[in-house]
Amino acid sequence: MGNDDTPKQPAKAKVVPAKPDGDLVYFNWSEYLNPKLFKQFEKRYGVKVRQSNFDSMQGMMAKLRSGNRYDVIFPTAEWAIRLRAAGALLRFDPGQLKHMDTVYDYFAKPWYDPTADHTVPYAMYATGLIYRTDKIQPTGSFNDLGMPEAKGRSYMLDDFQEVIGAGNLVNGAELNSTDPADVEKAKEWALGIKPNLRGFSTDDIQNMVNGNGWVHHGWNGDVVNLRYQVKDPENYSFQKCSEGIPLGSDCFAIPANAEHPGTALTFINFMLEPENAAKNINYMGYPMPYKGPDETFAELVKDDPAINVTVEDLQSGQQFEDLGRDGRRLWDQTWTEIKAG
Amino acid sequence: MDGNQGGLTGDAFAARALLPGGLWLLAFFAVPLAIVVALSFGTTDDLGGAIYGWYPENYSRVFDPLFLPVLARSVGYALATVALCLALGYPVAYYIARFGGRRKNVLVALVVLPFVVNYLVRTYAWVALLADEGLVNGVLGTSVRFLNTPYAVIGGLVYGYLAFMILPVYAALDRMDPALIEAGKDLYGSSWRTFVHVTWPTTFQGVLAGSVLVFLPAVGDFVSAQLLGGPGTYMVGNLIQQQFFGAEDWPFGSALTTVLMLFLLGWMVLYLRSAARAVRT
Repeated sequence: MGNDDTPKQPAKAKVVPAKPDGDLVYFNWSEYLNPKLFKQFEKRYGVKVRQSNFDSMQGMMAKLRSGNRYDVIFPTAEWAIRLRAAGALLRFDPGQLKHMDTVYDYFAKPWYDPTADHTVPYAMYATGLIYRTDKIQPTGSFNDLGMPEAKGRSYMLDDFQEVIGAGNLVNGAELNSTDPADVEKAKEWALGIKPNLRGFSTDDIQNMVNGNGWVHHGWNGDVVNLRYQVKDPENYSFQKCSEGIPLGSDCFAIPANAEHPGTALTFINFMLEPENAAKNINYMGYPMPYKGPDETFAELVKDDPAINVTVEDLQSGQQFEDLGRDGRRLWDQTWTEIKAG
Repeated sequence: MDGNQGGLTGDAFAARALLPGGLWLLAFFAVPLAIVVALSFGTTDDLGGAIYGWYPENYSRVFDPLFLPVLARSVGYALATVALCLALGYPVAYYIARFGGRRKNVLVALVVLPFVVNYLVRTYAWVALLADEGLVNGVLGTSVRFLNTPYAVIGGLVYGYLAFMILPVYAALDRMDPALIEAGKDLYGSSWRTFVHVTWPTTFQGVLAGSVLVFLPAVGDFVSAQLLGGPGTYMVGNLIQQQFFGAEDWPFGSALTTVLMLFLLGWMVLYLRSAARAVRT
């Protein structure tokens, strides 16, 4: 497990200043950052942003492992733990980030980066179910995915952590349990739901927008985004499930082999500026843990507080954790069995 | 290389002409293949990176009875794809070869034209066309659920590989002497019997070649099942893709790939034998 405070990588003798030192090589989920901010950043600092996207954490890891060099990446907390422990992240001087003071105190020494010098918090998310309330009556349980009235209109996330995690919660186990008996029961739960499913997909926005889905295992912020795209937004609702709320957060990080770490720090600082963070929240629909911009998000979801994720939620809810090598292997193999079964 | 000095003999020239292609295949086919086989005995490190080693248990996992239905499904879909490609492709090839006239080359070009667009893009187009509230249902005024069914997956495979059937069948039909058909008609009279007893046997090697060219990629395909399929259409290609991009288990993915390649190689050998026999007779 990589939860210790001493990553393999030694502290850099030389402090990297937050000054542009070349174009920004950017690697993130698609549509997860307001593209207008790229333009602004390019204009202000006279550098280009070279974008590329991943569609899963495993996809991001595959690219990093095969030697691609990026300046800024966006791992979720549990993947940040692994990257940090392997010495794959640059250790920077937090003093270079002058807007760090807006970050919630809760993230001052985050569990995934206790020294707070390998990552900067980016966004918080919760997993639950997205419903078409004009078609079906939600009960707020993960078992709604198996509702007979939603047969062939139900989607589970195409994500091993989300599916096995949800199965664990339904069965009353810990979200991150790697006990083989628990994982087996979670598998049975997923296989029981499977005949009702139309598919496994992480594209909750499109599956709901095009009418194929009536209930979708999905992420809170995506409801905000999908409501922009439909004629009758009041018919789409997000609910956290009674069995438990899987929570997560993701962060900015700079790979150890980044070519332009100075530009990366400049960019992170730029994104932390309250005005820019607010613009970003409005676009992507996920709460960012910064004082000030968080009001933008509260405004955005004021009619539907279920979409919000707060620090109190993070404190009381169950967060995805790194499963460790053997646990991850068990989950991976179980996931393959769910998909093939 | 031989030690020939002075002028090149025909054989030596041919050997040298093969060199660039041979090097290409060595670098971009044989070497990656060797890496896949070597990786299939490996394991993974903490970051999920593949490391070489001796872990033959990857192969015992391949033969887990759990995966048998996945393989059977893939073969079933691929066979259905071959049958449909043949039913759709043979008449097209027949028409072009027999009645294409001066437009033959244009018609063949039209068959190939969709392949200028990437398979993935074409499959995405189907997703938009076949959605519940998509164009097809809109035009027909229906609400049929096309997507996420085995039919959509097989349809996508047929669309993806149809040209692989048409082209070899067309080549066989085009090579065939039209006088044979006339002779057949003189002897039997009916068009159908002429087809069954003359045209079909004469072009059978083309049909076989087309079937193999469609079957092999269709068995290993993952795009169609991923985009057009549902939870019950998981194919062996999806299983392999999952190991590489979902499960961080390249060694197991490599073992699956190696076994699949050997399985397909078996079919290939059967085909080559049949083709060789046909040449001899």
